Amino acid sequence: MIGMDQLTSVLTAISHPTRRAIIGQLAHGPARFSDVAKPFDTALNAVTKHLKLLERAGLIERRKQGREVFISFRAEPLRQVAGWMHEYERFWNERLDSFEKHFQAKKTKQEKKP
Amino acid sequence: MKNAKKTIEVKVERTIPAPAGEVFDAWLNPKVPGTPWYESKKLILDAKVDGLFYWLFGNGTPHYGRFTKVARPARIQHTWMSRYTGGEESAGTVTFKKKGDGTLMTLVHTGLPDDDGGRGHEGGWNYFLDKFPKRFAKPTPKKKKK
Repeated sequence: MIGMDQLTSVLTAISHPTRRAIIGQLAHGPARFSDVAKPFDTALNAVTKHLKLLERAGLIERRKQGREVFISFRAEPLRQVAGWMHEYERFWNERLDSFEKHFQAKKTKQEKKP
Repeated sequence: MKNAKKTIEVKVERTIPAPAGEVFDAWLNPKVPGTPWYESKKLILDAKVDGLFYWLFGNGTPHYGRFTKVARPARIQHTWMSRYTGGEESAGTVTFKKKGDGTLMTLVHTGLPDDDGGRGHEGGWNYFLDKFPKRFAKPTPKKKKK
């Protein structure tokens, strides 16, 4: 069972779009720091801070291979978060997200009309 | 002997930028994305008190229920059964309240079994991971062709 402290740090880690994008990128395979930082306009030290938060949550790990350090994604904490949530909690959140999005798109469309 | 199964409640809220009546109607319209009935493989929906619903979810999970309250534009209530409820009747209530220019929509699902089936360790995990990269990842910038 996941502890509340770990749950908080995992949820905090995935609450930021840049960190979610980093995870999304690393889900395809390990990468060097420079490759992880490349798609972002933010300063390198901002990326470093995001990586530290992800590392603290156990979502990434660094491995030295020769002279290079590779960063890889660790899925286990997400599995624990997923196990903590009820199937229907996920289901309803997903559904209401799309329901809300549908109305927002409708509103935007109406506002654009002359 | 009393059935002492532990149950939990799930509560989800969203503010929808439309009047309550419109949101209420949309919630019962299977063509609207995000409604429980959207993208069903098979759907029977009779949204009136004592009307029944049956819908077959994309992953092959059938859901059954009976509407117990349909009060436009404030409240929809129905029972809800699926394999995730362990064959027991759970209850879904959706309320719609005016909030500024929009509607505060509150969905409460009670009587859900607090067990591994409900928490869906396996299914949920795969589902979550399948969605995760697609949902959250920014598109990888395309490399310029030389």
